[in-house]
Amino acid sequence: MDKGLQIGDLTVSSRLLLGSSGYPNFEVMLKAITASGTEIVTVSVRRVRFDNQDQGDLFQLLRQKKILILPNTAGCFTAKDAILTAQLAADALETQLVKLEVIGDDKTLFPDVEQLLLAAEVLIKDGFTVLPYCNDDPITCKKLEDLGCPVVMPLGAPIGSGAGIRNPYNIQIIRDIISVPVIVDAGVGTASDATIAMELGCDGILLNTAIAKARQPVLMASAMRKAIEAGREAFLAGRIPQKLYATASSPSSGLINTPSGNHIDDT
Amino acid sequence: MQVYINGETKIFPEDALNLYQLLQLLELEPEQAGIAVALDRRVIHRQLWPKTEVLSGCQVEIVRAVQGG
Repeated sequence: MDKGLQIGDLTVSSRLLLGSSGYPNFEVMLKAITASGTEIVTVSVRRVRFDNQDQGDLFQLLRQKKILILPNTAGCFTAKDAILTAQLAADALETQLVKLEVIGDDKTLFPDVEQLLLAAEVLIKDGFTVLPYCNDDPITCKKLEDLGCPVVMPLGAPIGSGAGIRNPYNIQIIRDIISVPVIVDAGVGTASDATIAMELGCDGILLNTAIAKARQPVLMASAMRKAIEAGREAFLAGRIPQKLYATASSPSSGLINTPSGNHIDDT
Repeated sequence: MQVYINGETKIFPEDALNLYQLLQLLELEPEQAGIAVALDRRVIHRQLWPKTEVLSGCQVEIVRAVQGG
């Protein structure tokens, strides 16, 4: 029996964490959240606008749905900005959870490892539960675990690329050497990508664009839910070893052969 | 007094304001959860808003949750 995903003191039954960005509207987003089965949704914190262009109260909307809100520090390029953003998010959204992102450059959106480690250390000392978005680098993941992160979240491919799990060997090594849960964050483009990550032994998937920008987001949300469950079950069941040549699955005894041993030619 | 709020300069006729009053003047509801405030890059918890004076020239950041991945 699957006990669910453990994030520090928190346990959730769904292994999918979902982003709230890029949906056609709030209604589709909420339906996708329901169809995905997720219990945790990420948000960003941004400056309040004074031109009445704010989109509505996302915080209250998610709270009414009993969704756990996971603020991110997306768009931060330094540890200093990420720390302030996390502290503001904690105060606004009444949570100590933070998806820590410290970005290295605008084009790749790859993490700046040095700044990420700095920010993680400060925030953990400050009492935060830090979920770090990081490279698919086992050493960085180990350092984050040693700092006290209750999960590590290596990328499968660049954010929003939908390119899938580009380095399954690294993800497998990370899963092997890290004791805390491993959540693949970014890169999943379609259901099979999520299944592959779960079959590698990952504990969860964080995604956004693959659902939000699908032609039918709600249907894709449902597909992702099933894909993650399927991948998890396949991992627990244990796959067969891969071989180059065939091994017959039907019995080899009792075959109908001609006396010379040649198969009957029925042409 | 002149205060820099979310990167914009705003002028207020008042000589003295606390953070709670400032949020009211900006038509934000200080009683409602969902917003956070930093004064000169330091987060000020909501319980301290009525006691925290905003001085002319201060930098105020007011944030809320938006859609994000």
